Amino acid sequence: VRQGAPYLLATCALGLAACEDSHSVLSPHGPAASSIAALTWFLFGLVTAVFGIVMAATWLAIRGPQSVRNRIAQRRAIVAGGVAFPAVVLSGLLIYGIWLMRAEASQAEPDLRVEVSGEQWWWRVRYRLPDGRAIESANEIRLPVGQSVALSLTSPDVIHSLWIPSLAGKVDMIPGRVTTLRLKADRAGVYRGACAEYCGGPHALMALHAVAMPAPDFAAWLDGRAGARQALNESQTRGLGLFKSAGCGACHAVDGTDANGAIGPNLTDFGARRSIGAGLLPMSRENTARFVVHGQRLKPGNRMPPFQIFSAGQLSDLTAYLVGLR
Amino acid sequence: MTMLRPIRRDIIVIVATLLALAIGAVLFAWSGLYNIAASKGHWPIVEAMLRFGMSNSVELRAAMIDAPDLRDEDLVAVGGNHYRSGCAYCHGAPGVKASPVSQSSLPPPPDLSDVSKRWNDSELFWIVKNGIKYTGMPAWVSQNRDDEVWALVAFLKALKTLSRDEYVALQPGAGASASAIAREAAANCDGCHGASGEGPRSAMVPVIAGQKRDYLIAALEDYVSGVRESGFMQPIASDLAPAAIAAFAAHYADRARPTRVDGTAAADVEAGRRLAVAGAAQSGIPACNSCHAADALASYPLLWGQSATYIAAQLRRWKTGAGRRGERSAIMAPIAKRLSDQQIEAVSAFYAAFRPEQAAK
Repeated sequence: VRQGAPYLLATCALGLAACEDSHSVLSPHGPAASSIAALTWFLFGLVTAVFGIVMAATWLAIRGPQSVRNRIAQRRAIVAGGVAFPAVVLSGLLIYGIWLMRAEASQAEPDLRVEVSGEQWWWRVRYRLPDGRAIESANEIRLPVGQSVALSLTSPDVIHSLWIPSLAGKVDMIPGRVTTLRLKADRAGVYRGACAEYCGGPHALMALHAVAMPAPDFAAWLDGRAGARQALNESQTRGLGLFKSAGCGACHAVDGTDANGAIGPNLTDFGARRSIGAGLLPMSRENTARFVVHGQRLKPGNRMPPFQIFSAGQLSDLTAYLVGLR
Repeated sequence: MTMLRPIRRDIIVIVATLLALAIGAVLFAWSGLYNIAASKGHWPIVEAMLRFGMSNSVELRAAMIDAPDLRDEDLVAVGGNHYRSGCAYCHGAPGVKASPVSQSSLPPPPDLSDVSKRWNDSELFWIVKNGIKYTGMPAWVSQNRDDEVWALVAFLKALKTLSRDEYVALQPGAGASASAIAREAAANCDGCHGASGEGPRSAMVPVIAGQKRDYLIAALEDYVSGVRESGFMQPIASDLAPAAIAAFAAHYADRARPTRVDGTAAADVEAGRRLAVAGAAQSGIPACNSCHAADALASYPLLWGQSATYIAAQLRRWKTGAGRRGERSAIMAPIAKRLSDQQIEAVSAFYAAFRPEQAAK
């Protein structure tokens, strides 16, 4: 028993984490996720009841009084328990499920539409401003709390699936088609999501964060993204020079500079994101440097070549610039 | 059971004989009676057996090698330059006698003027690439540069008809400049990379005049450490002290880029220009100019005016996974893998023909 204690503790911790983490079907924070959680609990209860009935019938058939065993063995009991009962229960479940999910199939115009494209192996996120301009970000979807949001999903090459368990169910991202995922966050918070369809090599390292923020904060953030950038200090200025001369801008865009690459993630608000490499590492200068230099070891197969050409001083300047991007 | 007994006895006799032979061999080697002297030669029967075994071994191993078309002046030129520095000492050359020192080894390195009659192309390739055990014939320095080995084979075939004057013409002229570095460069580097103002003698050879200094240093250091493989360049670079590497790099960086444009005929130069300037985002190909323009990092090479044959060969080697390694190659290799064969031809032709003055207009 003593040897098992750590495992028992670990299991408890996992159980607790499942309840409190922002990446869990069982802790819904929006109507779509709530419906799924309700259906999950209802199914769990129903299945438990059916399991109880089957076990009881089995026990009675083996150990019960002769009169009960005779009744269970009747043709009528088999038709009622084996055909009619499942048919009624499963049909009922289907109707309940469709009724619960009606919100997801809604055609009503959402308050906000965000375009999300599943790339290999990261997420391209695009907000359309009222004036028609587009604001691009990556690996983080910002949402206004309490507003209905429709995510228009697609992919340029292979099938991905977007799943933010605390906010909604999963919807596939299919090349050449636009699918829609509707969600609404009931309260501010950060909700983790992941790719739920195997999409090649680093599929398991393709995560994202949905950041639900109060509507005024969201509007302010969007305005800020569209507006001017802040001034750079000396180290950051050197970092910008390296960013240009090392060719980073060929794949990455930073709005307001001549870096306009469309191959990799847009880095305009890189330092404000929670993670590096699509949910791979928490945001920090050290981790940014690690990804630049050892990206292929940390996320094998990702499309960014490893840049082992920088001196320690150059890396420091470069990461000062990158993490300063907000 | 009685049937097995004589067989068992035979086995014992055979094993005992083999054991006695093995012990005898060890005793013979231990006694020092065998004369290891190169001056003494082999008994004729041993000599014949060794040659018989060697030629059969080469024929068998070369049987599966497909020889490419070797009728190419560029191959002969670059192969000839390596022959002069790497082979002629032992094997001699038109108008040049093999060194008496090498000729005193056993077996003496053969004269190669009619070597292409004795071996076919694939067999020559196999010998040059792998060398021959117990003869002093070395293997190629890099086992990943078949292109270089084929160039040497092309030259070996040309040896048959090569006159003394033609062979001498392959050698670099004496440098006109007085500086020691320039004289050494003329003796060591210009032979392949071309004298001041000229392009290289072979399109296989990169243009290094006017290349970025830091890049040239890094390339030579990569040859020394072996992350960049070449049977031509590794022996040369390994002989250079760090100060000499820096001096050569500066010497070539200060030269003007040659004006010759090489092999851009059939390619789609306009498609190459688009790739170089804008890339192809759908295929994950960044614009080449973002790293290869003059204002990019000094350790990234310039490409304009470079031989198209050379650029395309490098890209193809990365694409097939046979390319060089090292820090800068780690960046280039994944991008080269995304290029199609047509894109490689096009972008190589574009850079070969491009001159920065054109962009200014």
